[in-house]
Amino acid sequence: MKPHHDMGGDPSGLVKPDQPDDPVFEQLWHKRVLGLTVAAGAMGAWNIDTSRFWRETLPRQDYQSFSYYEKWLAALTNLFVAKGFVTRDEIACGYYAGPQQNLRDGVLRAAAVPLMLAAGAKASRPAIAEPLFQRGQKVHTRLPDDTKKQMPGHTRLPHYAADKVGTILFSHGYHVLPNSNAHFLGECPEPLYSVEFSSADLWADGNGGDKVVVDCWQSYLVLAE
Amino acid sequence: MPHDHHDEAHAHALLPSEPALRVKALETILTRKGLIDPAAVDAIIDLYEHKIGPRIGAGLVARAWVDPGFKAQLVNNTDGILSDLGFGGRQGEHIVVVENTPDCHNLVVCTLCSCYPWPVLGVPPAWYKSDAYRSRAVREPRTVLVEFGVIIPPEQSIRVWDSTAEIRYLVLPMQPTESYGLDEAALAGWVHRNCMIGTGLPSAPRTAASGHD
Repeated sequence: MKPHHDMGGDPSGLVKPDQPDDPVFEQLWHKRVLGLTVAAGAMGAWNIDTSRFWRETLPRQDYQSFSYYEKWLAALTNLFVAKGFVTRDEIACGYYAGPQQNLRDGVLRAAAVPLMLAAGAKASRPAIAEPLFQRGQKVHTRLPDDTKKQMPGHTRLPHYAADKVGTILFSHGYHVLPNSNAHFLGECPEPLYSVEFSSADLWADGNGGDKVVVDCWQSYLVLAE
Repeated sequence: MPHDHHDEAHAHALLPSEPALRVKALETILTRKGLIDPAAVDAIIDLYEHKIGPRIGAGLVARAWVDPGFKAQLVNNTDGILSDLGFGGRQGEHIVVVENTPDCHNLVVCTLCSCYPWPVLGVPPAWYKSDAYRSRAVREPRTVLVEFGVIIPPEQSIRVWDSTAEIRYLVLPMQPTESYGLDEAALAGWVHRNCMIGTGLPSAPRTAASGHD
């Protein structure tokens, strides 16, 4: 079944563009959630794929009713509990009764923030073998569930681009595979490709001249007949 | 009891919103347990609120318009040049610059979450993260663009980039003919955030007379 976060191609309402003078953050608490999420990620107890998996596996009702930063907050809270840093009771009563603890090793300090953000975390890895596919080749995408390493699992293959034929536009070299990395099953780097699809091949009402490009790991693809 | 006091309380309820309280509770727990340095959170917010934003991307586009050598580097050696300029980093470790041409207009989306080139555009606007944009941009890009006031002629194809991996896409818009001859600093004012996502086209900077601010 198509998960609720995988919404490409779904019917939806009008897009509401913002105004040039709108603030970067609509609410004060939005900034706090962003700051907490980025700082917590820098601790290294999980990776970006884990964070995405925890956001997209929020219950459907929560995912659909929560605002954007509420989803981040809910996933971050669940992650802290799942990893044993915080207890359910502490979250339930909104309070930690013990004495103030010293900052743990690995926790991001203010002075380290500019360097941490500037460094980022590259997803590219050294090549292991020649990529299987070449520019211009036709490839057939697999089904999202068939690319997962466990159930419920994580994949970056959207349903609208599944079981379709596209063309390799270019190769990005080896990248960490989210399907395994999200669940701490190893980085398992694979060649990553930009695959171009004709809109008409994706949807009955697609405009034949328009294209959609989806980044696909090698294990999402088989050579098209 | 003074009447005006009552009115004031009505106009501005003092109770924080539920999510705001939840954030506060979580941050307090994490801080007391030594899992978060609130000063680090402040520093992250300050950078994304005041320093890292679309003016960085606009400067790159303007320079590419006036300097063909720089444009070639920006398109062909993107990560190298961004790193040299100090504009690489988190959520922009692998940036691909896609150039608009008379034949092809580029549009960027993330249907699965909200991936966006943070080091050059800052944090994404609310509409970019909305269900409406994530759902419809891949399927009906021309209709979505009309909602932004952008009309793409039928002879110009549209290429929608769905950011499903750690590659981040930055649109290099075409320079409007009306801006030919302007210098780099003036041109940067023509490059608004949305034209680097593909939901806008470069236009003359708003002046005091045309704006409301």
